[in-house]
Formats: sequence, C-alpha cells, structure tokens
Amino acid sequence: MGSLEHANWFMRILFLSLCAIIVAGVLLAQRGREMFIRRIPGLTAIEEAVGRATEMGRPIFFSPGLDSINIVTLQALAILSYIVRLAAAQATRIIVGLRSPIVYPVAEESVREAYDAVGRPENFRPDDIRFISDEQFAYALGAVGIISREEVATNFLFGAFYAEALILTENGRALGALQVAGCPEPTQIPFFIATCDYVVIGDEYYAASAYLTREPTLTGSLVGQDICKAIVIAIIALGVGLATVFAPEKNFLLTWLGGGG
Amino acid sequence: MSAPQPTTLSDRIQQIPRHYVYLLLAGVVVWQLLFPIRLPITPSVPTRGVYDAVAAVPDDKLIIITTDWDASTQAETGPQTQAVIHACFQNHKKFVIMNLQPPMGVKLAQDLAQEAAQEYGAVYGVDYANWGYKYGYENVLMAMAKNIPNAIGDDFYGKPVGELPLMQGVQDIHDIGLVVIVTGLSAMTEMWVGLIQGPYNTPLAAAYTAVMAPIYYPYLDSNQLKGMLVGAKGAAELEAMVDRPGKAVAIMNVQSWAHVLIIALIIVGNLGYLFARGRGGGRQP
Amino acid sequence: MWFSRLLQRLFPPAPTPAALYLYLALAVVGSIVIIVALHRLLGLRGRRWLIAFVTFIAGLFFGLEYFYPVHGDPGKNFLSDWIEPVSVMLTVVGAFTVGLGIYSLLQVHGRNLARRRPGWHNSLAFFLATFAMLVFGLWEHYLHLPQPPPEVVPWPKGIYEILFNGLFAPLQAATFSLLAFYIASAAYRAFRVRTGEAALMMAAAFIVMIGQVPVGAWLTSFIPADSPAAFFRLEMLGEWVLRWLNTPAQRGIIFGIAVGALAMSLRIWLSLERGTFFSEQS
Repeated sequence: MGSLEHANWFMRILFLSLCAIIVAGVLLAQRGREMFIRRIPGLTAIEEAVGRATEMGRPIFFSPGLDSINIVTLQALAILSYIVRLAAAQATRIIVGLRSPIVYPVAEESVREAYDAVGRPENFRPDDIRFISDEQFAYALGAVGIISREEVATNFLFGAFYAEALILTENGRALGALQVAGCPEPTQIPFFIATCDYVVIGDEYYAASAYLTREPTLTGSLVGQDICKAIVIAIIALGVGLATVFAPEKNFLLTWLGGGG
Repeated sequence: MSAPQPTTLSDRIQQIPRHYVYLLLAGVVVWQLLFPIRLPITPSVPTRGVYDAVAAVPDDKLIIITTDWDASTQAETGPQTQAVIHACFQNHKKFVIMNLQPPMGVKLAQDLAQEAAQEYGAVYGVDYANWGYKYGYENVLMAMAKNIPNAIGDDFYGKPVGELPLMQGVQDIHDIGLVVIVTGLSAMTEMWVGLIQGPYNTPLAAAYTAVMAPIYYPYLDSNQLKGMLVGAKGAAELEAMVDRPGKAVAIMNVQSWAHVLIIALIIVGNLGYLFARGRGGGRQP
Repeated sequence: MWFSRLLQRLFPPAPTPAALYLYLALAVVGSIVIIVALHRLLGLRGRRWLIAFVTFIAGLFFGLEYFYPVHGDPGKNFLSDWIEPVSVMLTVVGAFTVGLGIYSLLQVHGRNLARRRPGWHNSLAFFLATFAMLVFGLWEHYLHLPQPPPEVVPWPKGIYEILFNGLFAPLQAATFSLLAFYIASAAYRAFRVRTGEAALMMAAAFIVMIGQVPVGAWLTSFIPADSPAAFFRLEMLGEWVLRWLNTPAQRGIIFGIAVGALAMSLRIWLSLERGTFFSEQS
C-alpha cells in the first residue's frame, strides 16, 4: 500500500469531485433551486421546547459544548442564534453556560445580535451569558448549579460534549426539564438517548444550521453532502465486491485508495 | 414533568428512588474493595496485540507513549500507562512519554515511569525520557514527522531532547518503532492515523477508556491499530501478561459485580414494566 | 530557493540571546501595530475580505501540498520543505490563544468580582487558586535553590504537591466518579423493553456488559476454550458483538461525520459559511 502523504491521481479525482459536488449544490441553491431536507425530529422539537419554557414561565439553559472555536462549536452557536430569536420573540429568558473563554465573547455577540434582529434589544441580559469554568468537571457542576437554581424548563445541549454530558443531562432530567441534545461525538450519544427527550445524532448535527435557517448556501451544501455520501457508499460496495473476489495484491481499488504520489 | 407517585407494586418496582440505587452501588463497591472475589483474567486478542506490538519493535527504534489523559480518567488510563511502561521495560525497549492535551498527563505519567524505572534499574535519558507537553496538535505531528528534535525542543525538565543519550540517531518519524496512544480524549487517534500511521506506516497501538473503545474497533479491524486496551479490563489483562497485577485487577473485581448489579436493576425495572403492561398500565418513566 | 534566501537576508539569526529577545519583542509589537492599523484603516467589508483571503491562503497551502504532483524519493513537491516551518509557525501562533484564554479568564472573573455579581466568591476562589498554583509551580520548577537532603521536601514543592496531587487531581477524579452512579440510575430508568428492537438491543447490552468483566468469563468457563462451542463463551460473544455488529455501525457514523466535516470545512475555507461569526444574518 502506498503512502498517504500525497495524493495519487485517484485521490485527486475523487476528492476534487466531492468538493465540486458540494460547491455545485451551493451554487444551484443560491440560484433558487428548491431542495428537500427530511424531517429531523430533534431539530423540529426546538420550537416545542422553547414554547414549553414560555408556558411554564421558566428560563431555558443552553450549552454550546466544551470545545473552543471549531466547526462543531460554530454550528452550536448558529443553533443558539436560532433559539435565541425564538425565545426573544416570546420574551422567554435564555441562560447560556460557557466553558471556553474564547467562545464567550463570540456567544455574547451572537445572542446580542439575535435580540437586535427580533427588535427586542432591551431584553438582552449580559449576566445571562455566563462563563462558568474552563475545567471540564467544574464547568459541569457549575452548569448543574445554574440548572437547579434557576429551575430551567428546557435544556439545550448542542456541541462537543465529553464525559460531563451525563452529569448535565441526568440532573436536568431529575429536575423535570425537557432536554434536546445534539452532538457529533458517537461516545456520548448513548447517554443522551438515555436521558434526553430528543437527540440529534452524528451528521444530523452538521445539517442543523441548514435545516433551521433554510439558508440556500447551507441547504445546497447539505444536499451536495448527501450525494457525496452516496458516492462513498458506492465505492464501499465496489470495494467489498473486489475484496471478496480478488486477492489483496490484485485488488486495484486497494492500491488506488492507498494514495501515493 | 415530575413522575406521579407510585401506587401499585409494579409502579414501585419501576420507580425505586435513585438514592437507593446509589446506595446499592456504593455498597457493592465497598464490599468488593474489602472482600474481593478474585476471578481469573484471560488476555483478549486486542490486548495481546498491544503486547506483541511492543515486543516486535526493533532495538534501534523508539516507542512513543502519548499520555493524553488527566486525573478524571486516571482510574483506567493510569493502570494502562503503567502496564505499557512495564511491557517496554521487560522487553528492553526504549520509550518516551509525550502529551498533546491535557498538560496534566505528562506529570502523572512521569510519576508512574519513575516508579517503574526504580524497579528495573532504568535511567532517565538512557532507557526512557519524557518529552513533556507539546502544544499544537496536528502541527506538532506534522513537524515531528520531518524533524523530531526541532519539533519537540526541550524535554519535561527543560533539557534539549537532542542531548539525551536515547535520542542519538533519532531524527524523524522513521526512527519511531511504535506509537502507543493512551487517552481518554476523542480525536487524538484520528490525528495520529491521518498524519503518522497512514503516510509513514508507523505502527500504532492504543489504550482507551471503556466508553470510547467501541468507536475505535474499525481501526483495529482494518489493522491501523495493532492492538487496543479497552478500559480497566485491558489494563488488567496487560498487567496479567507482564505479571504485575496492580490497581486494574482490583478495579475489575469491583467492576464485575457493579455490572451484575446494573443488569439486575434493569431486569427488575423491566419486570415491573411487564407486570404493569400485563395489567393494562405500562407506566412511562 | 530565492524566497528562503530573501528571508535569511531580512531576518538573519540573532547573534546573542539578548538580541533574540529584542527581535521577538519587536516582532510582537510590530504585529500588534500592523493589526491595529489594519483594523482602523479597513472598513467592515475590508476586514471581511482580509479574513477571507488569509483563510483561503492558509487552507490552500496544505491542500496544494497534498494534491500537487511529487517527484523524487521520498516524493516531494515545491511546498513539501515548507511543511515543517509552517507547522512550527502555526504552533507558535496557536500558543497565543493560551494567552488569550488566560486574558479572557482574568477579564471575566475580574468583572464578576468588581461588580459583585451573584457567585462572585467563585471568581475570588479562581484568583486565589490560579495565583497559588502559578507562584508555587514556577517557584518549584525554576528557582534553583541549593539541593536539600533527600528526606527534606522543599516547602514550595510541598505546597505545589498539596495543591496538585492533594486537591486538584482528587477533585477531578471524584467528580468523574459521579458518572458511575448516574449511569446506574439512567440505565435502570431508561432501558425498557417496549419493542422487539429494544429487546435485541438489551440482549446485546447484557452480553457485552457481562462479557467485558471477569464474571462473564467465569460464568461460561465450563465451555472449553479450544472447543467449537467456545464461541458461546460470554467474553467471545461480547467480542463478536463489538467487532462484527458495532464496527460496521461505527464505520457508517465515521463516514457520515467525515463528509459533513468536509462540507463545513469547505464552506469555511471558501468563506461561504453563514452565521453571526462570519457575516450578517441573511
């Protein structure tokens, strides 16, 4: 098997094709083409969850995960912005608990802009954007303290979560909060499923910003992604067939995928 | 959304207050710590893979043990690191400890290495070393692949790594015989596989917490990982292989009966659910 | 290469350590001046354009190095020799975020203390703990006092050990240990066999849970390890579930997440991403 340090001709064609499909999806969507996205229950439940907090007159708690600024956290902040607009329109309080000091100013700005966008800048409370701690478990215990003291009605957990996830969700469940979680990390999915009412799994998470905003760029990218996945599945199927029939040294797909300059 | 008060026996079985569940679990843990029931531990195939990978390293190459863990996962990753260090010393393989995240891991691992070194008469800088915590994730690996002394700089004690006797002749990734990733963090393996194992065919083995291990079986299956320690069980198996039963064996005694308790509680809960459903109830917990 | 020679002419190696520190200080100050000047001179659109340009160039470097044809043995192209210095440079730049993180922490907790916000005592604890660890950690590591006899522990090291091994590490481990109890209560409450699929999942869970501990091996130890029926030993069944049922599912998740991450990375690289962090909301 060749080195993966540099692309061979197959990897160039494959990779550039995948990128071209995603970009083509974006361009088509920007030109007005309608694109279908299936229903994702966890994301559809967001409106219901915000409505529940409004009816009960209790606040919402949102955690964008534990990572610093990366694609997972940026996705979480996009979801936060959507939720804040819903909550602000219904005059429902939302508390954001943060772990990364670098995410803190970005989240504060994101929430402030969301309140401005719905015409409720006076409802923005800087004290509700709380940096708790940059230590994982100190953050978890601080967040649990907020959830308990404020008696939140709804818990949103979107982002990168690790071992502290169960501490957050089990305490939220004990309080009777409705919990919606989304995390691309497979390790925490079982814990979320056992303790949360709705869970967004795997790459549904990356579809969230497109699903919620229906922004053409994001929707087109999502559809392009799905086509890429179909291509990957086709290559896997071809590989399974070839590996069944041929010995490794005669399996050309194995050589092509090994890369090598 | 608080649950209604249980009225029937089947409801009560389904709603045992969680304080009693915690007390039962605490009781099992204390019981096994005080009166352990020792059961034999047989090394599994993935654990044997780790030991064999260590033994197969050529004598002129180095082993890197990455200790990307901290005190929170120390119960699993501490014994794993210790068992791997023992395997290295017993097979007379030189190794270095390093850490990409979080910084605490190198100090905790250094304590373990010093303790084991005393047992084998190993000397720091000659038989083992500690490269310390290196900030930069992928950038560190990419730089290491081309020039290790430049990328690593100073060791844990502030001395240039190029001056250590065991680093003589170690220039780039081709002088590394094996990387053992001991971690409680996601994404570390993907970095090593993508930047080191894939491009340079450097053998890789790993030790994970039990929660993480299932997601890395694909790498074991495709031979990108030569072996894998799964949680405290893997550590106990490797301790058995290196004939140094320690904390992991004690943990397995406790964990065995804790698992039995959890299974018993699940069965009890489901019995209550089935009785209630049979009576036309079927409470939603 | 001409670019390397130009850089060496413009930035010759520092002759003394003092000169090196002076160069570093000038570089930091110069960078701050340039960034502030750009921030003032460029309007909002100009700043966005600059960010998009720098993002594109940074991503293009690594992408081009991977895709550009290579020659020789080992295979290299015109960018390959730059991987190491660029990686080291990015590591240094990334290290500034540590300082940024510390600054943000001090700012946030300082504001809490100054305004006596609810929970200000936690911010006070933060400052006390931070400075205690900083002072005693640096003292223990860098202050080269005369070595005491082996049986005497220098008191800065003693205090550092109390703070680290006596307080910080056990607190972290204790909090993590809470998870064991939460797992027990969550499993007891949530796992109900409501459907056939749930029953299958439960059976698989029981096999793996018991197969992963010595009790499982003991329960089926009556089955000889070298017999055809050895597959039915609980530890073998558990291993089979993990390798043959779990692995394909995990592969599917990995592929899906990888394609999703590719799409998002592409959007960020080409500055197509939308949202507060990138541009005004559409």
